[in-house]
Amino acid sequence: MLGLKIAAVFFMSAAIGVLYRVPRRLLFYDGMVGVLSWLVVYTTLQSGGNIILADFLGSIAIGIIAELLARLLRKPATIFIIPGFIPLVPGGEAYTTIRFLVEGRYAEGVAMGMKTLMIGGAIAFGIFVSSTVYRLVINYNVENSTEHVRKN
Amino acid sequence: MAISLEQIVKIAGLAGEIMLKNGAETYRVEETMMHMAKACGAAKVESFVIPTGLFLTVYDSSGNLLTSMWRVRARTINLDRIAKVNELSRRLVAQRIDYQGAYSILEHIGRERTGFSLFPSMLAAGVVGGTTAIIQNANSAEVLGAFGAALTVRFIAHIVSRRHGVQFTFEFLGGMAAALIGSGLDNALPYLNRDAVIIGGIMPLVPGVAITNAIRDVIAGDLLSGLSRGMEAALTATAVAMGVVIGLAVHFVR
Repeated sequence: MLGLKIAAVFFMSAAIGVLYRVPRRLLFYDGMVGVLSWLVVYTTLQSGGNIILADFLGSIAIGIIAELLARLLRKPATIFIIPGFIPLVPGGEAYTTIRFLVEGRYAEGVAMGMKTLMIGGAIAFGIFVSSTVYRLVINYNVENSTEHVRKN
Repeated sequence: MAISLEQIVKIAGLAGEIMLKNGAETYRVEETMMHMAKACGAAKVESFVIPTGLFLTVYDSSGNLLTSMWRVRARTINLDRIAKVNELSRRLVAQRIDYQGAYSILEHIGRERTGFSLFPSMLAAGVVGGTTAIIQNANSAEVLGAFGAALTVRFIAHIVSRRHGVQFTFEFLGGMAAALIGSGLDNALPYLNRDAVIIGGIMPLVPGVAITNAIRDVIAGDLLSGLSRGMEAALTATAVAMGVVIGLAVHFVR
């Protein structure tokens, strides 16, 4: 079952890459970014972590891997970030919110909506934090060496 | 060979326009234009980029300046073109290509049809929907249903954008179609639950580029672009949600 899910995440990230017209030979990397971040989320959840913490850690992993790959392959980091975080998007929670609201169960709907927003915020801030920290590290290294490093 | 001010503005502006049209972040557009203009011999470059247009001013060494404005109306998502323009700008900066060569390659990048045509992208959308259902622990009928729903949503998106539909139309129609397909299959097949089908169906509509660019623009300090892209993402999500609401409401009326 876990193997099937890992394969599903891989193909999902690669397919998102196709939808956003990522260069063909980078689709494999997209799939790998998706699988790695999803594994971080899965491991955190299995060891009893909160879903918000799990998604935060997962998107930090995305940010770091994507910035490293961008530097290594000399491509925009966006190419690796977008397919990486789509498997973490709380689609199920968002849909459940809508279903509650349509059924007239407003209190449950608002509660589920807050959960969706929290998960979304965790993903956004995970990418935010890892990209910012990565940039700080790079700028620090640039200031401490005479070599000119261009931003990716 | 001296490159005139008009030529510098032309090549840098065209590069910026292509990147902005295809979904690049603001700072990437500004930096690419600056690197390309300086590589062509500009003394100083100033630019102001927002998601719907860009201003570019180029100074030469004797103090002359030229300003141009590029309005960007239709925007799509094509990360392949962004990567190509990025690559070209690196080559121009490293002097591995001359002005004429770079300009004709740039015009080619802007014109060519890259990436995947309708059928592969529909298939990809279907794969996104089906795999989402797998991750949600759905049974095989629901996985197939989600595959079909996501495929249909992508087809609707293609038709609406072919007819130059207003923004957020196809997200709304797509969400509605996914909800209707899910409800219809739920009625027709007793062993299938509509939830996984609808979740899979709306997954290709997630505004991934808008979210990512909003975050990256805010990090880079481009607050205006970051806010408007964040607003775009929020409106897209609302359009999808309202589509699903209408579709589900039809189901509950009966």
